[in-house]
Amino acid sequence: MIQFLFKGIIRDKNRSLLPILVISLGVFLTVLGSAWFKGVFSDMIDTNANFTAGHVRVMTRAYAEIVDQTPNDLALVEVDQLVKELKDQYTDFEWVERTHFGGLLDVPNEEGETRAQGMAVGQGIDFFSPDTHEPERMNIINSIVEGKLPSQPGEALISNDFAKRFNVKIGDPVTLFGSTMYGGMAFTNFTVCGTVRFGMQALDRGAILIDITDAQAALDMADAAGEVLGFQKTGTYDEEPALQVKEDFNAKYADDPDEYAPSMQRLNDQNFLGYYLDLAKYMSSIVIFIFVLAMSIVLWNTGLLGGLRRYNEFGMRLAMGEEKKHIYGSLLTESVIIGAVGSVIGTIFGLAAGYYLQKNGIDMGSAMQGGSMMMPTVFKARIGPEAFYIGFIPGLVSMVLGNALAGIGIYRRQTAVLTKELSV
Amino acid sequence: MENPAIIHIDKLTKRFPVGNGEFTALNNVSLQFEKGEFTGLVGPSGSGKTTLLNIIGSLDTPTEGVVTVLGQSIAGLSHKQSAQLRNKHLGFIFQTYNLFPVYTVYENVEFALLLQHIPAAERRKAVLDALEWVGLTDKINSKPPQLSGGEGQRVAIARAMVKRPAIMLADEPTANLDSKNSHHILQTMKRLNEELHTTFLFATHDEKVMAYLDRIISLEDGKVVKDEQIVHAKN
Repeated sequence: MIQFLFKGIIRDKNRSLLPILVISLGVFLTVLGSAWFKGVFSDMIDTNANFTAGHVRVMTRAYAEIVDQTPNDLALVEVDQLVKELKDQYTDFEWVERTHFGGLLDVPNEEGETRAQGMAVGQGIDFFSPDTHEPERMNIINSIVEGKLPSQPGEALISNDFAKRFNVKIGDPVTLFGSTMYGGMAFTNFTVCGTVRFGMQALDRGAILIDITDAQAALDMADAAGEVLGFQKTGTYDEEPALQVKEDFNAKYADDPDEYAPSMQRLNDQNFLGYYLDLAKYMSSIVIFIFVLAMSIVLWNTGLLGGLRRYNEFGMRLAMGEEKKHIYGSLLTESVIIGAVGSVIGTIFGLAAGYYLQKNGIDMGSAMQGGSMMMPTVFKARIGPEAFYIGFIPGLVSMVLGNALAGIGIYRRQTAVLTKELSV
Repeated sequence: MENPAIIHIDKLTKRFPVGNGEFTALNNVSLQFEKGEFTGLVGPSGSGKTTLLNIIGSLDTPTEGVVTVLGQSIAGLSHKQSAQLRNKHLGFIFQTYNLFPVYTVYENVEFALLLQHIPAAERRKAVLDALEWVGLTDKINSKPPQLSGGEGQRVAIARAMVKRPAIMLADEPTANLDSKNSHHILQTMKRLNEELHTTFLFATHDEKVMAYLDRIISLEDGKVVKDEQIVHAKN
């Protein structure tokens, strides 16, 4: 009987081709949409984690309250000891010091007079340690447009857009004007060793990257850092271990009333990142829900039309002694077969398109001019293991649901009414 | 010995809801049919012929009265039981053939046996026998759209008779056929009736069919107005 039904599906294009096309399209969009949203949200989260938030982030309590202002006067002190303790106690994490700062970048002419000035956001990161992963974590190596990484004190990377705007060349001096940890004025000369373009408007407008030791020297932050970031050595953010470390660490300082005592936050706890993480986590479910709903309606209609077209066949089958429930069952079996075939086709094309977007992405830079959020301008898809099966959920559910709804007509109609056309 | 009745109809009434009222399709009909009959229900449209065939075929149920087919009361059958009755003992032939268009002639005929879970080898033999009966062995791989009207109806007959039913119910089987094909079909059915003793019940108003019938029951407004045995002159 299955073989008989299968022949019918293959030969009757209205029964197979149209639903398979609808299913394939829906599954294709589901797989691609899921991979796309996963990629976009993951990139946003990774970018924020790598550039600012870490997987966990240690700051003073006071600093944490106004973290958006990068208040280095509230920075962590005796940070070398703190990092040592963190490294000893939480070995699954890599711990790094970071200092964010803002300031004015002054570009002098040959006489040393100001030729150009611009606002810049700066970061002090670990460039010089032999085992540092910071340049690769922040994708600096791949983002260098000209020049090289800082290799000695006094060297700085600046954003390529800034360099172009003010005609700054490799080897040119720039002066950073800012404020020290104690509120005094700081100005330090650096030599531009390279220019970078991250593809993030917030950084590319004007940024300066220097070694953490240079930042400490420039901002009078000896043995201090704005924050210490922890990154899970697996490379991907896992909420549970991060929660354990956070709770364990914060418990040690629970009785300490000092507002400068260190406090740890997870990625989830910072700004809107928890919301984005939840969104990323549920995005696949949201996409599936939308497509199951939309495709079920389409396939319900397709199933209704197909069912009406096949009333003659159903009537004849009933007249020949087939039971209603058997006909209904065969209708559902057909829908499972068609749903599976459509899902396979849609998944293959969805993965192919997803892979293309994973490799190439879509440059949304022009649409994000002036944006201040830390997010990449090139959005890329990300194909995870779920992309291989996720399309089968809407593919099968909507097809079966659509046909199940359409097939109810068989049950609700009198047998003689189903066969009525036969005797006209 | 008296030929046993295989269909008993006692005071059958069938009403259909129409708007706020009811339409009486059959009104207090009582009939009996014996094994091997070749009988026609004749009458104008709306006289109740098809309704009566539907109830005998367990496609519909009586509003009042009792209809017993092969010892089973139609009103008391569950969906499953009525499906089994049709599956094993009843064959239907309709005016529009109602073949499955995407399946071959062979597959159309085979379907009836698939429902009975008959083994493949047995199925094949029965299907080829049935097609031989109706003279279509050369068309087994053709599909319905490739057949003429007469050939299509012969496939429908083969499909109905392949499971060797006790009763064949034919609703206007020649309405779409020309004279030559009508006679061919009727001769085939008459041969089945004579050689296999299959009971045939026709709903028809075709004069050509009537010429073959052994018994003609005339219906009008849901009532039996005449029930006559036909004696054919021997050649």
